[in-house]
Amino acid sequence: MRFNFPDFVDDRVDDGVFRVHRRVFSDPAIFDLEMKYIFERTWVFLGLESQLPRPNDYLTTVIGRHPVVVMRDNEGDLGCFLNSCPHKGATLCPLMRGNKRLHVCPYHSWSFDSAGRNRAIKGLEKGRYAPAFEALNHDMIPIARFASYRGLMFGALSADVPSLEEHLGGARAMIDIAAAQSEQGLEVLPGAVSFTFAGNWKMQLENCSDAYHFSSTHPSYLRLLDRRKEEGVDVPRAISGADYWLGEAERPLGGSICFDHGHVLNWNHLDVTPALPLYDAIAALDARVGRTKRDWMLRLRNLTLYPNVQLAENVASQLRIIRPISVDRTEMLTYCLAPVGEAPERRALRIRQYEEFFNPSGLATPDDASAYEACQSGHRAVSGGWLQGYSRGMTGRLWGGDMTSEDLDAAVVSASSGCMQLGDETIFHGGYRQWRALIEKGLREERTEA
Amino acid sequence: MSALDLETATAVLTNEGAFLDARLWDAWLGMYTEDAVFWVPAWKTEDEPTADPQTEVSLIYHDSRERLAERVWRLKSGLSIASSPLHRTAHMVSGVRLLGDGKVGSTWTVHRYDPRAKAQHVFFGRAEHRLAGRDGLWKIAAKTVWLMNDQIPTVLDFYML
Repeated sequence: MRFNFPDFVDDRVDDGVFRVHRRVFSDPAIFDLEMKYIFERTWVFLGLESQLPRPNDYLTTVIGRHPVVVMRDNEGDLGCFLNSCPHKGATLCPLMRGNKRLHVCPYHSWSFDSAGRNRAIKGLEKGRYAPAFEALNHDMIPIARFASYRGLMFGALSADVPSLEEHLGGARAMIDIAAAQSEQGLEVLPGAVSFTFAGNWKMQLENCSDAYHFSSTHPSYLRLLDRRKEEGVDVPRAISGADYWLGEAERPLGGSICFDHGHVLNWNHLDVTPALPLYDAIAALDARVGRTKRDWMLRLRNLTLYPNVQLAENVASQLRIIRPISVDRTEMLTYCLAPVGEAPERRALRIRQYEEFFNPSGLATPDDASAYEACQSGHRAVSGGWLQGYSRGMTGRLWGGDMTSEDLDAAVVSASSGCMQLGDETIFHGGYRQWRALIEKGLREERTEA
Repeated sequence: MSALDLETATAVLTNEGAFLDARLWDAWLGMYTEDAVFWVPAWKTEDEPTADPQTEVSLIYHDSRERLAERVWRLKSGLSIASSPLHRTAHMVSGVRLLGDGKVGSTWTVHRYDPRAKAQHVFFGRAEHRLAGRDGLWKIAAKTVWLMNDQIPTVLDFYML
């Protein structure tokens, strides 16, 4: 298809205009471009190293449409391969996670060690193979690039990507802060929760950064917190109810930061109450990481690493992996994260707050997912053209950062901050600029090759 | 009270599903003790559900009837887009058997229809109720639901279990 960016995104911020067309969420041809040139050409999040602690552990996931497997070999080194037998293509590792020294294909028993090396081809000697076959490499196929940052593993199907550190850029500062919450780092709690919604993957990508939706999409959750307070129910909560959006303060109480390559953060002040799982650790954190980082740890932080992973931290921490299935269908895989060594009663409180807020069986996330579906239905009204949801904060955004981002000591494209009601929408612009850059690069290279 | 018999246990489980299908929320809440535990484990692997709600993630874990009443309030509040309109449900309970100490095992399916999306889905699994005698009636003191098809289309709420 012909991809003329201004047909899809009207990016004229100097005139105060940034609009996205409904087609961006509903056109299958756009989705194909996204799979080919975004998900299958850039760094994609795979999982956490701590999910593979022992030699021969493996974890399966996808990069775009490609099933892949991350394996820790017998010596403890990590690698990532296409999860597809070189012989007839069957997936070699069927489970989400497992531990195997030898992977035997269930179809014709070709076998591979945990470093991906072919160990046996059944009946090789009697197979009357031609020499040309023997010249082939029969190992599992490694992906083009594989790297980790602070235990977060990423892979790319194209070798033509910047280093992972360069790709993450200024967003590394936020990963550092998340990882430093405990001296021993973060762990994934047992229990994976997966859900689907009938909507485009970018609905989830945007919603995590969307401070504007919170009070209108989640009033039932906020009112419940109010009810508990009125009834004196002894359930501590760091997000208070109706007063959540009140009050101007001397310093901004919330805002957003765009880093390079489409990575973004939105943050909010949280009341420092015993409901924060880190509450008991505040003094120790002050001593270990300093006041600036400690303060960031105590804020609500929603970090999106473009295009497929989000770290949402408020009264609990969630790792969300976004898997686009089709233009109007998305699969989410979610995990609860917690600092290693957390006290048992803090851990239990964290888990309860996590389930209540983040689960598709909880009191908030179902409303988000239902809102995505309402949008997806509405996006079929293509003749309605441009959407107006990218405009809040346009006159307050500062290029290069503002007072809220300067203490991060990180490369920042822009920042926007203010009161709780700001609900900045310029945070979405960064993702669409990366969207444009990757799709245009892919199309350009395809033309050159052709 | 006399000992729990299979007929009584079956009636409790059947009534629970019927109350939920008919949206008789107060009648449903009235079946639970004040300190009832309502627990839906998540899954750790393809074969193993989570077993300790204090250290592992559950899909739902509530340890009082008040938390269930909050969920009922949320459904009726008109403030939850996921609950407006409510999905229509039909509960089927089968294989009811007494496990001793007031515990009752069962196998269940819930068909649900989302009138907004015009989409239907079937949840299914096993359940274990623990019934306790209160003022001459059998109440639900604990309900554990193992959901077998745990990839959840958009929303899972208590009334779909």
